[in-house]
Amino acid sequence: MLKTKKLVKIFRSDEVETMALNNINLDISEGEFVAIMGPSGCGKSTLLNILGLLDNPTSGELFFNGTDVSYFSERNRTKLRKNNVGFVFQSFNLIDELSVYENVELPLLYLKNSKAERKQKVMEVLDYMQIAHRKKHFPQQLSGGQQQRVAVARAVVTNPKLILADEPTGNLDSANGEEVMKLLTQLNNNGTTIVMVTHSPIDADKAHRIVQLFDGHIVTESIRKA
Amino acid sequence: MKTLTIPLPANNEDEIIDIELFVGLDKKKYEFRLESFLWETDDELSKIRDNTSISLARITRLKKSIEEYDKNWDLVQIFAPIENNNRIRVLYRKLRRKK
Repeated sequence: MLKTKKLVKIFRSDEVETMALNNINLDISEGEFVAIMGPSGCGKSTLLNILGLLDNPTSGELFFNGTDVSYFSERNRTKLRKNNVGFVFQSFNLIDELSVYENVELPLLYLKNSKAERKQKVMEVLDYMQIAHRKKHFPQQLSGGQQQRVAVARAVVTNPKLILADEPTGNLDSANGEEVMKLLTQLNNNGTTIVMVTHSPIDADKAHRIVQLFDGHIVTESIRKA
Repeated sequence: MKTLTIPLPANNEDEIIDIELFVGLDKKKYEFRLESFLWETDDELSKIRDNTSISLARITRLKKSIEEYDKNWDLVQIFAPIENNNRIRVLYRKLRRKK
């Protein structure tokens, strides 16, 4: 599903040049659950942003379902993202001014779904996430665990093939973190490909494969379960 | 509750942390080892001055250390370098053998 070849990302300021990713070769199959680990600043989130077409590489290639998308225009990247990729962030990134229902509905508005279709899909996913009873609440009225469930609902409401999660349990206590990991595992069991950045070895153990990054390099990869 | 967090005293390298957990009559044993690999050296690195080459040399050495490590142990986590960048710590967990 995702393939990178000699992927390089360099951040440049006036005087400093930082190589965030250095020759990353990674192959992620459809239906796989991959965890990316490594110390802070090793390039995990940069890699996730490039895999999710939120950022362009400096050099190298990125293939999405066999298509070279390395240097797609912003318009094409947006189109590919909204049809195929769901994002879950550590800090939830919900819109405070919108209700739970409206936050989850948002990606469907971009896809120009009808109002009836939107209602059906939003309620379906809110039920699945067991948060439907909070649909009229605003993010600030929810606990961290509930907010992350809404964020996962927003990520999956378009039925994306790929979910990219950047430390999804990083701001949660262990019980809520475990709930979110259960949701991600269920989604993966239903066929969704998941790439997750994490600091937690416990969360990483839920993945099929762990990729260890260090200083922008892949240091090692290990298979966890069949 | 499925997660149990145990604060460990600062242990030395090469010491194995043995954890035995009883759930009813069922005993589970976990073994962890915090390894420390060389990160910064005065040998080949002293001849290299640019950051990219230094980073590449360190990574190559770290990869080699991990590749050559006892296969009975599974890598859990790589930590940031410590002790003025001289060494880098890596946490391993002993693979449990199927009976």
